[in-house]
Amino acid sequence: MRRDMKLMLAVWVAVTAASLAVSYFVLRTLSFPTPGAAEDGIIDDAFMALTYMATPVFGLVIAVLFVAMLRFRGSGGPEDGAPIRGGGTIPKVWFAVTTVLAVVLIVYPGLTGLIAIRQHAKPDLEITATGSMWQWTVDYPASGVKIAGAKELVLPVNQHIQVNVASKDILHSFWIPAFRQRMDAVPGQTSSIYITPDRIGDPSDAAYRLQCSQLCGVGHAYMAMPVRVVSQDEFKAWLVSQQKTAEAR
Amino acid sequence: MTAAHSTVHGAEGHASPARLLRMNRMGLWLFFASDALVFALLLSARFYLDGLHTPPEVKQILGLVMTSILLLSSLTAYRAETAIEHGNIARGRSMLLLTAVMGSVFLAGVVMEWMLAEFSPGDGYGTAFFSMTGMHAGHVASGVLLLLMARRQASAGKFDGGGTRAWGASGIVMYWHFVDVVWVFFYPVLYLIH
Amino acid sequence: MSHSILRAPIVRGLFWAVVGFVLAAALVGGIRTAMGLDFWNTTVDWVIAYPVALLGWLMGVGVWPQWGREWLGGKAEPYALTGWQRYFGFSPDHKVIGIQYAVTFIVLFLLAGLAAMLIRIELAQPGLQLFTSDQYNAAMSFHGITMVAVAVATLLGGFGNYLVPLMIGARDMAFPRLNALSYWLVPPVAILLVIAVGMGGWDSGWTAYPPLSEVNKEGQVLFNLAVITFGVVSILGGINFLVTVTYMRAPGLTWFRLPIFVWGAISASLISFFFTQAFAAALLMVLLDRALGTSFFRASGGGSALLYEHIFWFYSHPAVYVMVLPGFGAALEILSHMSKKPLFAYRWAAGAMLGIVALSGIVWAHHMFTSGMDPALHAPFLVLTELISIPTGLIFLSALGTIWQGKLWLQTPMLFALAFVFNFLLGGVTGIYLADVPTDLHLHDTYFVVAHFHYTIVGGEIFALFAALYYWFPKFTGRMYSERLGKIHFWMMFLGFQLTFIPMFRVGIQGMNRRVADYPAAYGEYNLFISFAAFLLGASFLFFTWNMLASWFRGPAAAANPWRASTLEWQVSSPPPEHNFDEIPVITGDPYGYGGAGPAHNRPLGGLAAGSEGGS
Ligand SMILES: [Cu+2]
Ligand SMILES: [Cu+2]
Repeated sequence: MRRDMKLMLAVWVAVTAASLAVSYFVLRTLSFPTPGAAEDGIIDDAFMALTYMATPVFGLVIAVLFVAMLRFRGSGGPEDGAPIRGGGTIPKVWFAVTTVLAVVLIVYPGLTGLIAIRQHAKPDLEITATGSMWQWTVDYPASGVKIAGAKELVLPVNQHIQVNVASKDILHSFWIPAFRQRMDAVPGQTSSIYITPDRIGDPSDAAYRLQCSQLCGVGHAYMAMPVRVVSQDEFKAWLVSQQKTAEAR
Repeated sequence: MTAAHSTVHGAEGHASPARLLRMNRMGLWLFFASDALVFALLLSARFYLDGLHTPPEVKQILGLVMTSILLLSSLTAYRAETAIEHGNIARGRSMLLLTAVMGSVFLAGVVMEWMLAEFSPGDGYGTAFFSMTGMHAGHVASGVLLLLMARRQASAGKFDGGGTRAWGASGIVMYWHFVDVVWVFFYPVLYLIH
Repeated sequence: MSHSILRAPIVRGLFWAVVGFVLAAALVGGIRTAMGLDFWNTTVDWVIAYPVALLGWLMGVGVWPQWGREWLGGKAEPYALTGWQRYFGFSPDHKVIGIQYAVTFIVLFLLAGLAAMLIRIELAQPGLQLFTSDQYNAAMSFHGITMVAVAVATLLGGFGNYLVPLMIGARDMAFPRLNALSYWLVPPVAILLVIAVGMGGWDSGWTAYPPLSEVNKEGQVLFNLAVITFGVVSILGGINFLVTVTYMRAPGLTWFRLPIFVWGAISASLISFFFTQAFAAALLMVLLDRALGTSFFRASGGGSALLYEHIFWFYSHPAVYVMVLPGFGAALEILSHMSKKPLFAYRWAAGAMLGIVALSGIVWAHHMFTSGMDPALHAPFLVLTELISIPTGLIFLSALGTIWQGKLWLQTPMLFALAFVFNFLLGGVTGIYLADVPTDLHLHDTYFVVAHFHYTIVGGEIFALFAALYYWFPKFTGRMYSERLGKIHFWMMFLGFQLTFIPMFRVGIQGMNRRVADYPAAYGEYNLFISFAAFLLGASFLFFTWNMLASWFRGPAAAANPWRASTLEWQVSSPPPEHNFDEIPVITGDPYGYGGAGPAHNRPLGGLAAGSEGGS
């Protein structure tokens, strides 16, 4: 009994340590798509915080399962296990500990992350992305550039951008994996997210694509387009070229 | 919900008629709770879509008359139930018929309201109005059929002797009250709120 | 011979269904022609003719002779079917109904699994290989709704119906004929879904979000009718369980002496009778928008698509627990009996189930953090949702405490039950990321979600279902399954499952969104791997199917109590006699009298009496 408990504790510690190590060295560096915006940190950190918190829970369950299967074997013979019913303090302690854990992760990274992701400064640039079956119309109202059936989304680096998301017909969703946040396009309403691209990015990276991520029928998978994050000068030049093509038409 | 009665597989192996009655009642009440949620959802949808606004075009007098008829029919249904429970089948039958007739008049009123309506199902308010009155009218229609069924069973001697044997009739009357109570909530919401 | 086939209940049911449909459609067509409209309008005709056909089907299949005549004051025919024919007719016997549900839904499970295999063939490489986008959407939607129905109904409808009366010492359910009627509503659901696929399918998934579901093909109409029908099944079944457990427990069987599986069935029933109608109502509103032109969800008419999401998730989050709670019950049951140890912290586990029921109704909007709903709702729904981890944790305590210091008998059912604990751990933990608003903003609608809910529903509930299938197989059929094939099935399914869904977490985080027939080439390698793993998972069911069929027909006869288990269903013969108990047992202790408290399980029927009350 003592020995089993010691073995279980050892496995628990070992599994927890191993999963912490894997989370820290492998998951954290390898899993996420390219972080392309300042806000990504909030989301990726929350993800890692939850992962770290989960490792001891994961370790405990694995340890008990492992030790029980190793040491507490029977073969259907007449012998019974110990008549332990667990009516005493163990469930109370368990209940208290899990409640504390739940409250902790509600506060951090839950509510703190929610507050952080909500905070945003006055935007430097406002764009409107309007979904329709199965394409995006991108509007840069300040420069009078509006591209229906856009072939790519061009954004300036290091600008705080307000993205208004709307829909002409059915539900769609605005999502660029490099920027993490997404927002559904709902007919009859406009919803906004705020992103600050903080590195130059080009669509050779699959994370730099604007992907509709709300099932919208036949064209859903292909309701995607490349995203380019360019320097601010380049962006101005691009806007001018777009204004010219619009006039030429 | 009279399933538990006449089958060898039923609970009757070790259940008294009184317990069977309680089981039937519980089943029916659970059904009411379940069904009430459908109405509650429609009600919430009405507030979600239209807020506290009722257009002036609804026909107030017609609504009032229909409501009175339906409430009155609950009274006759109640009298039918007590008559049958006390073994007065003949009186119960006529009261069931009277209730069914009043229910049918109510349904005619709903159809009239639909034809007179100055808004279509596609307008904001029309959506709530037509679906709520429609869902309720569907329940009234099924209630009328059930009342007629109860009357037929009464004629066939199913409730002779009253008491727990009258469950078939009283279950249907309970359903009728339930449908009435729903209207008590729907009427002010559809006609009166400003 | 041909004469008797024509009189078979199913043939009669189909006949009257077709008659009903044709008559109603002709009537609708006549009225429409008179109004100057086209004779046939798929939406309107199905919406009106289907209920008539459904009535014809039910009456034909046996409701009329067995029950309907009484409604009109007549006398019902005595119940006549015997032997195997009982399974193909209107039978009020809960054991027949349980097997009807179980077999029907296992068949549907295999069918929807086949759809999953086709989906994995398509997704093995970027680009389109097998399907067009539209066909892909149809296959994905069919897979989704069919598996949801399987998950909702197999354990509760199949095992619940078979086992609850036996476990509580009753001779049947409270409303046997209502029970039969509920089951016979299931074939129309399956038929509608298959016809819908034949008509080209519908492309809105199992969630059927409008406005898409109001502007897409008419397969959608059949989907809606099917799900509404299935909702009725679920509600009636739930009511039946609740009344049965409330009033038909054997003398002495107090609430806290109920086997934990019964608690799972109770909690799932509470949810299904009180929430299912929300899904049905939402789909009815979609039908009204489509057929009558109301505008519940059409922005142009003052409607709101978000209203649908609220109503839909008001049911569909609790629905997860309709699936999983009976799974908890079955797994805990098996863990206790096959560890030969009382269920640990029994009252806490039962209380946790009720706690989950209570919380399930107030967390729905965690599915809508990215929907554009009022952001003021984010924080409360985040908090409430994360709280569910507390009662769920108690289920884990009960499972782990039960196996600790037990005598684990690692037969197939036990392996599945232990795998359930492992899988549900991963499913539960990953759920926390999705209830957390910031992480959900990224993970929502990606393969992370796909992996998460497959871990909870397949890894959790379906593994528990297979544990239950093997564990109660001898009781249901009176025959023993092949342990060797069972273990092959288990290890293939377990490994195939892990290898399929673990990589999906990563590819989801990386940026692959769900419900797409095609994806960027960057995710190709992972998807190829996932597809091969999925084929391994799929192949495991060949062993399962073979095992079940061969054992059912030719397996060795099973003893009354092959597991030496202590609950009531094992104290009667395998399969149980027609009315379960010749004498209603009297209960004086809790159902888990293992260990020092006395070998209650070795006693004949009624022996659950003295000696086993160590618990409460
Ligand atoms: Cu889209
Ligand atoms: Cu949920």
